[in-house]
Amino acid sequence: MSDNSRVRVSIVGVVIVALFASLFARLWFLQMGPEQKLGKAVSTLATRVIQTESPRGEILDRNGKVLAQDVAAWAVTVDRNLKKATRDRVLGQLAEVLKVPERTLLANYQSVRQSPLPPAVVDLNVPLDAQLAIREHSEDYPGVNVAELTIRSYPNDGFASQLLGYLGEVDSVSKPQLKQLEAKGYQPGDLIGRDGVESAYESVLRGKPRRETVQVDPTGRQVGPPISVDPGTVGDNVKLTIDINVQKVAENSLKEGITAARGLQDEAHRDKGFLTLKPTGGAVVVLDVHDGSVLAMASNPTYNLSEWVGGISANNFALLSAPGAHNPLLNRVTDGQYAPGSAFKLVPSVALSKYNVLPASQFVDDNGSVKLEGSVFKNDNGTVNGPVDLQKALTVSSDVYFYNAGNDFWKIWKIDPNQGLGIQAVAGDLGFGRSTGIELGDVSGRIPTPAWKLAVANANYKKGSPDWNDHSTWYPADNIFAAVGQGDDFVTPLQLANAYATFANANGTHIGTLWTPHVQAVVTDPTTKKTVEQYAPKARGTIDFGPAYDSIAAGLRGVVADPQGTANAAFAGLLVPVAGKTGTAEIASQGNTNFGSTSLFASYFPADNPRYAVVALVEQGGHGAQIAAPIVRQVIESIDQLPLTPIPTHSTGRD
Amino acid sequence: MASITAATGRRRTSAATDTSLFAHIDLALLTLPIAISILGLLMIYDASGHETAVGGLPRLYYVERQGIAIVLGLVAMGVMMVIDYRRIRDAWPLVYLAVLPLLAGVVLIGRNHNGAQAWFQIGPLQFQPSEVAKVALVIAIAGYCHQHRGDLDAWRVAVAIGLAGVVMAIVYAQHDLGTMLVIMVCAAAVLVIAGLKPVHIVVLLLLAASLVGAAVVTGKVQAYQLDRLTSFTDQSTSHLSAQQQSPTQFNLGASKAAIASGGLEGAGFGQGLQTKNGFVPEQHTDFIFTAVGEDLGFVGGAALLLLYALLAWRLWRIALLSSDFFGTLVAIGVLAMFAIQIFENVGMTMGLMPITGIPLPFMSYGGSAVIASFIAIGLVLSIHMRRFA
Repeated sequence: MSDNSRVRVSIVGVVIVALFASLFARLWFLQMGPEQKLGKAVSTLATRVIQTESPRGEILDRNGKVLAQDVAAWAVTVDRNLKKATRDRVLGQLAEVLKVPERTLLANYQSVRQSPLPPAVVDLNVPLDAQLAIREHSEDYPGVNVAELTIRSYPNDGFASQLLGYLGEVDSVSKPQLKQLEAKGYQPGDLIGRDGVESAYESVLRGKPRRETVQVDPTGRQVGPPISVDPGTVGDNVKLTIDINVQKVAENSLKEGITAARGLQDEAHRDKGFLTLKPTGGAVVVLDVHDGSVLAMASNPTYNLSEWVGGISANNFALLSAPGAHNPLLNRVTDGQYAPGSAFKLVPSVALSKYNVLPASQFVDDNGSVKLEGSVFKNDNGTVNGPVDLQKALTVSSDVYFYNAGNDFWKIWKIDPNQGLGIQAVAGDLGFGRSTGIELGDVSGRIPTPAWKLAVANANYKKGSPDWNDHSTWYPADNIFAAVGQGDDFVTPLQLANAYATFANANGTHIGTLWTPHVQAVVTDPTTKKTVEQYAPKARGTIDFGPAYDSIAAGLRGVVADPQGTANAAFAGLLVPVAGKTGTAEIASQGNTNFGSTSLFASYFPADNPRYAVVALVEQGGHGAQIAAPIVRQVIESIDQLPLTPIPTHSTGRD
Repeated sequence: MASITAATGRRRTSAATDTSLFAHIDLALLTLPIAISILGLLMIYDASGHETAVGGLPRLYYVERQGIAIVLGLVAMGVMMVIDYRRIRDAWPLVYLAVLPLLAGVVLIGRNHNGAQAWFQIGPLQFQPSEVAKVALVIAIAGYCHQHRGDLDAWRVAVAIGLAGVVMAIVYAQHDLGTMLVIMVCAAAVLVIAGLKPVHIVVLLLLAASLVGAAVVTGKVQAYQLDRLTSFTDQSTSHLSAQQQSPTQFNLGASKAAIASGGLEGAGFGQGLQTKNGFVPEQHTDFIFTAVGEDLGFVGGAALLLLYALLAWRLWRIALLSSDFFGTLVAIGVLAMFAIQIFENVGMTMGLMPITGIPLPFMSYGGSAVIASFIAIGLVLSIHMRRFA
């Protein structure tokens, strides 16, 4: 070999050493050096966690009857990794077998609400013959499976819907909420309580999901058995204070009352000829006066919870949310705000003696109207009641008596703002103007005060302007209307029931306890049957009704028992002693649109040893005695297991 | 050693001295390919689990076939050792002419495989003539240069390049760009050692550069070939989902991730998730090094590279020890062939080189490559054995 060649062979050697050195260096960088982090992606790339929801807890009534439960349902699923042509062919075949439009199946397949890894659920509640057709010809349906899933089921579907609440999928909420939920272990497609008990007790009802860690190949297909399995736990059962039998009667009575109201004359607009009432909804609530537990909570119009299972269809949602549907999703007991009308007179009744404005025994002459501070205030229908004391004023529902009371308080307010707001203070003690604290959540309503009026004026008008002066001034009429539950007073049916319950539980002691209304009785673990949480009643405060208690109680009892009582006819023949107060709250017209009065009846029974407070309300239902009182009667009859008295379809009334 | 043989007296080759020939065998060069092949069998087993499961093949399908190829390769290596390489040297035109029809035939009737038409289907087996052609071309150019040693003028350089060019053109027609480049490197290495003048080297480099440029400009380089090159230059794909990446980018990402996850000691044989679950495509063939990297870690990967380095050193050593110029040229050609394949293959799995379909010698699944590699080793062993004869 020449020296030249020898040099060249040596150069080749150097080149090859350089090549190997660079390979070693690169290997070091990748495995031991800065690029090690590339490998971190491997475990997430090659494994996936498949999370499946565990069965949700049951919701039961106080007697253990099932209101909501998870049941097995047969579903048809389609694998994710099918070629588009195969998928379309398979969906076409399934459409024929399942008798479901192909586009519906495709929409389900592509729905973002479903997790992308497990097979897509394209149809639920598949009939047996279709299941068999698919299973027997599985070779014709590549990637198709018939699988058992759990879905929510409602044995008493159509009742207590707003109370129970519906379930929705997690990703139908906003992005920030989704982040928070994902932190709690939810993933898109998971069901979550959206309303009512399902929402309030979400953390209890929801089980711990089953989590399988599986290895996947690059196409996302599972390889081999799971690496690890966390079996999860079933959700706890929630037993409610609700009695489904009373609930059903309450809902049916409410419906019957609304139907009956449609045939009645709108007496508030008698001057416009014979107009019938056009009720838009109503509410009934039954409270245990001794601990605030809710026995029944009815809201009308209502809907079927089963419509939400598997995701509510756009069509159904449009029906539920149309203006003419009058918002069936709204729980009117907790979230409906109404002027209480005369049903509110309990509050000034208590305030008059508590603040030594007018002794219960003192009579006021009721001539059907009264001129106060230059304005004339009339009784409903201009009825003349003659001389009335507190008891009679309640029994016959004398507006003049309470107009006077409101005016008297206004006059005191001019001198002593604290004493002068006695009606508002008692309203607060009875739970008005603030949330009741019920676990379902509710609205606060409104009890107007001079401070509130000023704040509204400040927000809407230039300070010092004539408009501001007018709107910020606390006029006598403001306090007068506050005394009779008109004007700017707004209460929820639940607040009204809770106020009457507070009055009722003072029977004998004159000291009432304002309880926190609640629907939960006990939470149990379905596996161990052990009690996880027993509800302890929570008192929010007490109120001393003083010596006037017996006069007020007699007045409320007289509403039903006295032949002159406003609800006497409605309860004729009922042996159970009921005490209550009718309410007929007028609603101001808006332009040419007239609204019938809100029909209310707030009560408790038995009058001599109260157990339950019952409130019924029908929007545009006319007089309280016409519709609301007969509804309450039916509810009371159902609690005492008496035959139900039909709601009169032809009645006139007074308040 | 030379002094000892000198003392016992040098004799011309005869049947009686064949035993002494085998006494001069390079045991390191003999055992290294066998050791690497056995490691290769294990890694093919490791890396083909997902592939066989998906394809519904027996678990040992690839291992068995590779095992048969190794046995055939060992036999071929033995045959090459027994044959005196000087007879092959003198018959280089025959070797060259024998391989041409095989190469050409495959273009006409070959089967498609990953964009490269390079296979003969012989019963259940596939035969890839371009693997054998690499060795044949090394022999041919070395033979030609040996014939005209010390007198390699421009004309003769052109003839030598022509010999390589014909083979390269046919291989290019098979869309086997990788093998074409390997052949080019082998031919260049042999020519450089054979005494290519510096001026020739400069001219050839310019020529090659302009050819590559022309190929890209005129679109002779196909889309997937360009993709392989560009994915090498643009490796930051973290912002892309698996679907958005080109297949090659996905390959490269998965390949690097698999190796990086190996760390020092690796996940353990059969434990690496990427390997086990088939995340790296073509893993039992071109991307076998990722299985080594993931499962055996830096320790395993470095050990394998060390074995290759030892192999390269033995080949280089024989280039210096050869008793004739042909032996030196063949040893350098074979060294270049292995070195470029190892560098390109291992380099591409780590993002150091563009992705091409070049097997890792003795490791990658593929019978033709294994047999051709053993033939090459046998030839060099034959040169080493006969360095005194």
